[in-house]
Amino acid sequence: TGGHTTEILRLLSCLSESYSPRHYVFADSDKMSEAKIRSFEQERAETFPNSQFTLDRIPRSREVRQSWTSSVVTTLYSMLYSLPLTYKLKPDLILCNGPGTCVPVCISALLLGLLGIKRTIIVYVESICRVETLSLSGKILYYFSDYFIVQWPDLKEKYPKSVFLGRIV
Amino acid sequence: FRFKDSLAEDLRRADLVISHAGAGSCLEALEKGKPLVVVINEKLMNNHQLELAKQLHRDGHVFCCNCSTLVETLQSMDLTALKPFPPGQPEKFALFLDKVVGFQ
Repeated sequence: TGGHTTEILRLLSCLSESYSPRHYVFADSDKMSEAKIRSFEQERAETFPNSQFTLDRIPRSREVRQSWTSSVVTTLYSMLYSLPLTYKLKPDLILCNGPGTCVPVCISALLLGLLGIKRTIIVYVESICRVETLSLSGKILYYFSDYFIVQWPDLKEKYPKSVFLGRIV
Repeated sequence: FRFKDSLAEDLRRADLVISHAGAGSCLEALEKGKPLVVVINEKLMNNHQLELAKQLHRDGHVFCCNCSTLVETLQSMDLTALKPFPPGQPEKFALFLDKVVGFQ
């Protein structure tokens, strides 16, 4: 959604063309991200004409401030979509930055890893907005990601296994 | 104004920005080098959005106030006291990721 998309596109801005093809997964209720992504990829194609990317939507896994128990149900529902999608794409790397949408995708990748089907590196970058506390996605994925990046020193102190690179968006 | 696609043009021409504490609004204004006054809505006190506004204030990049103190802040503020906001560095992320996946 919105701010998350802007941030993730900034993260992608300096990546080399080795990170290709790029598969964007976002919530079906998200109206604005598609335009931002297309605009980013269009610009990118000016420098790298063979750039490849795809767009996929899955049901939104959680509304803002949705209760815990109902979030588990809606996330499981989203997994009905994210699991076959992740199986189809078999990504080498998942990069996410905190919208609820990333949780079912990452869980799907973890499952595929456990089943020996595909081992995916999961890199989570917590949003620049998170200075003192982690988002709910962050709290979950802190334990399940391969690399967990925070952008403020307070969080690095509270979550010692995280990586601090300063502000990267 | 309500649903303009982008305020970028208005921002470019502004000499001062007065905004709510939303991260997108704050960062957009700061990145364009505009002096920023953040108005905090006390009714949303538990909203995590405040974290960024507070930090930016602590680091001297913005002035903070609430609705009732806005006028006073505008009258007494010294814009030259604000510290410039350096851009983020996605290149550091790219370097890190390259190492992680083995492109070196």
